[in-house]
Amino acid sequence: MHIDCTINGNERMFEVSKSDLLLDVLRRNGYTGAKRGCDTGACGMCTVQIDGEPTMSCVTPVAKADGATVETIEGLGTQDDLHPVQQAFVDNSALQCGFCIPGMIMRSKALLEENPDPTEAEVREALSDNLCRCTGYKKIVEAVLDASDRLAEQAVAADGGRAATDRCCDCHCAGDRPTGADRRGETDR
Amino acid sequence: MSDPDEPKPDGGTASQPEGESPELEDHPLEWDEPENNDLAPDERASVSRPAQKDDDPKLVTGQAKYTADYETQFPDLARAAVVRSEILHGYVTDIDASAAEEMDGVHAVLTPWSEGTPDAKYTSAGQSYPEPSPWDMTVLNEHVRYVGDPIAAVAAEDAETARAAAESIEVEYEEAEYVLDPEAAHSEDAPRLFEEDEVENEIVGHDYSRNRMAHIEGEIGDVEDAVAREDVHVHETEWETIRQSHAQIEPHTTLAYTDEDDRHVLVTSTQVPNHTRRQLAHLFDVPIRDVRVSKPRVGGGFGGKQAMVVEPIPLALSIAADRPVLYEATREEEFHAMRSRHPMTVRARTAVTEDGSIEAIDLYALSNTGAYGSHGMTVAGNVGSKPMPLYSKVPNARFEADIVHTNTPQTGAMRGYGAPQGTLALEGHLDEVARDLDLDPVEFRQRHYMEVGDLDEIAGMMGGEGAERRIRSCGLDECIERGKDAIGWDDVEQPDEDHLHRGIGMALSAQGTGVAGDELGAAQLMMNEDGSFHLHVGGVDIGTGADTAFIQIAAEVLGCDEEDIVIKSSDTDVTPFDYGAYASSTTYISGMAVKKAAEDAKERILYWGSKLLEEPESNLDTGDGTVYSEETGASVSLEEIGYEAAYGHDEREHILGKGTHCTEESPPPFAAQFADVTVDEETGEFEVTELVVAVDCGVAINPGMAEGQVEGANHMSYEMAVSEGITFDDEGRSEVRGFDDYDWPTAAETPTIESILVETHEPTGPFGAKSVAEVPTNTVPPALSNAIREAVGVRITEMPITAEKINAALEDDG
Ligand code: FES
Ligand code: FES
Repeated sequence: MHIDCTINGNERMFEVSKSDLLLDVLRRNGYTGAKRGCDTGACGMCTVQIDGEPTMSCVTPVAKADGATVETIEGLGTQDDLHPVQQAFVDNSALQCGFCIPGMIMRSKALLEENPDPTEAEVREALSDNLCRCTGYKKIVEAVLDASDRLAEQAVAADGGRAATDRCCDCHCAGDRPTGADRRGETDR
Repeated sequence: MSDPDEPKPDGGTASQPEGESPELEDHPLEWDEPENNDLAPDERASVSRPAQKDDDPKLVTGQAKYTADYETQFPDLARAAVVRSEILHGYVTDIDASAAEEMDGVHAVLTPWSEGTPDAKYTSAGQSYPEPSPWDMTVLNEHVRYVGDPIAAVAAEDAETARAAAESIEVEYEEAEYVLDPEAAHSEDAPRLFEEDEVENEIVGHDYSRNRMAHIEGEIGDVEDAVAREDVHVHETEWETIRQSHAQIEPHTTLAYTDEDDRHVLVTSTQVPNHTRRQLAHLFDVPIRDVRVSKPRVGGGFGGKQAMVVEPIPLALSIAADRPVLYEATREEEFHAMRSRHPMTVRARTAVTEDGSIEAIDLYALSNTGAYGSHGMTVAGNVGSKPMPLYSKVPNARFEADIVHTNTPQTGAMRGYGAPQGTLALEGHLDEVARDLDLDPVEFRQRHYMEVGDLDEIAGMMGGEGAERRIRSCGLDECIERGKDAIGWDDVEQPDEDHLHRGIGMALSAQGTGVAGDELGAAQLMMNEDGSFHLHVGGVDIGTGADTAFIQIAAEVLGCDEEDIVIKSSDTDVTPFDYGAYASSTTYISGMAVKKAAEDAKERILYWGSKLLEEPESNLDTGDGTVYSEETGASVSLEEIGYEAAYGHDEREHILGKGTHCTEESPPPFAAQFADVTVDEETGEFEVTELVVAVDCGVAINPGMAEGQVEGANHMSYEMAVSEGITFDDEGRSEVRGFDDYDWPTAAETPTIESILVETHEPTGPFGAKSVAEVPTNTVPPALSNAIREAVGVRITEMPITAEKINAALEDDG
């Protein structure tokens, strides 16, 4: 059978077998950014977004992608022009071996789309399906909070700067948006 | 070790002759350090400044290539699957592989009896030569010793077919008696795992009649004498640690093929490319030059890949199938058939006078090495030789260990390498002794611990690593002070609820930096005509950022931008020799080789600079991408020098630098750990609110990366304190088959970890650096045990620390 989908903005058609899982099809077709860590949906290495939803592609039948919009790490930014979430991971030294990072970034991006201004506890909770063995999570959490600030600034800039004096985002903070550092205190740990 | 056939002690063992005491003059305090090694912070251009990790842009965009990502480059790539023992102990009597062989898409099937299966004995431990681990295994086994021992292997056109073929293979066994408990295994009437003739390269103190692969011991002074004295209290405690999994996120993965020159090529996720090359040459009986091991990006190692765990299988299959073969271990295999930390029971005994002077420390470890002996002796050696030297002022010390086989999965090297087990015992024990004697636990430690200038004889008592060591940098005092401040040691407020109690516990740790007398790193540097450089290093970046540290070191010497250096590391056809990424050696050993290579190249650069500027070399230095004169201020760019050297009229030269580094030194980094816990005395439930760890790593070459190492290590250490690790059911089968069963703390379950870098200057390291990544792996179990003791007065000695254990102890108490 074949499936049609939009991957990273490009229409693609793949010849697949019914039992194929999305991760296998992606990797076979050169989208090797999504990694294989467990094959059982337990580690998050293979996280991509399907129609905006973070999805473990290793346990997702490829049929789910038929007619859908799929976003993988390859579609996010280039090495010369990183997406703000990617840049935040780099600037916060939030990665070591990097194997978990494509999934972590896709998860973080999905989180920030849904909740642009998360607390530290919310970030930790959202990232709990994505494991990392190297970092101890601290710098990853800092990177996500930093990315949230960057995206908000970007939104302000795109808004012609009007929001900066008015409202910076949707958080009702009247421009006094708490910084990542402020919010780090707001944790139940 | 002068006899080349004797395994070298590689990590602290008893195989060194007794009675050699360190000579003062061999270990002068003054170290003949080149001037440029001791740069003040404001003189550093690259080192110790934040530099972006070299591979970050490709890692965050998914462009980086790990081994499995090469799959799309080999159209005829076959996939491997392995048939593994389903019994704990016994002999394979028959294998029926006919169904697999007939399956469509199957390219090769190998059993222990196939012609293409190597049958030589070897060890999977990726150590220097001759390996200080016994050669006790074969690639595919007839005599199987644990559930997971490899028996047969298949290559097929895709992973699904390979798995189906492997499952269709029928194995008949003759089962033998098994033993799971190390204490029981160590008795004379226990079932035997090895007959004498099944092991080559036997290790000191082996006694296979009672499943002992090694026995080691060392002593300074006279411990028994001290213990018998009338003016001392003798304290004894016993501690138990978990079987921890490396759980590195990228599974063990290897891609193997034979190239157009009939040379075997392995792209593999390894910490030890050069050792792997040597071991493969041995197994496949080919010259070393005909094996090429290349390491792409590696998704974590932590010691689990300081071993040749899977490489021989895809290589044998690729030869048999005549096509490239990719083997990716499954996550289930990772937990039951790869490697884990040695679980141990460690007994600590001390003799202490009434006023708190420690007269003797005595540690004994019983280590469960599982079915095979890889890293068994050397890990056990480090149980003593890493933590005990912390108390270098104690006059009598002894360490002894038995390393015993059981029918459980294989153990191996793991971050900390024995030090976590020893640190738990020693730091938990000393804390308890201090409380018994009503002494302040910190002051009690401070009275005995290492200082700059100390000649560390305890590390030397077993020979091997750390032997005969002079302490030239030590930031323990500052680690303690800053750690105390950060955690609020002097001001612990109790919760309002009466049943909740808060306590802060602390523990210290020391590690080594590289294996003294048993390391080699090498690097070479080529200058391009535009003034940029190619740096080739044998040193292995397994995700720690080592490549970036190498670039920073070279850039500091060459006075150029980090972006002007292109690095290639760890491909045995291209890069110089290196022992590999282990024993916290990478920055210290391989980094020093890089520094030497850069200095070698710099000498030639200054020669050309002096020609162009017409000034003596002695006036010149490099900086900001130029060679400049201190006297006249004149300068010439590295680019001009590059063109002149390559295309000059009267003289031409390709500017090359080379550096090789080995040393007898292994300076310890130090750590002070603090854990803040609140315990519910009614239920035993506890919450760790914060972990603080301060580390003296000398000069941090890249502070952001160093902090990341500390935090990751501390998380791993926290796991050792609170998670079960790999557990077994009553039949001895691993209960952990996937991440869901392996209960380690997620982002939401991890307390805040604060890392503090305490800068000292280690004169023997590149720009003052020593190691950072292992020492914080050692400290959370004792600090947390101590914190709980402080909070509710009970002592947990058996890891993991759980609410049930605390509750039971509280009930016993009450
Ligand atoms: S690989 Fe998909 S969740 Fe682990
Ligand atoms: S950076 Fe290595 S697993 Fe996350």
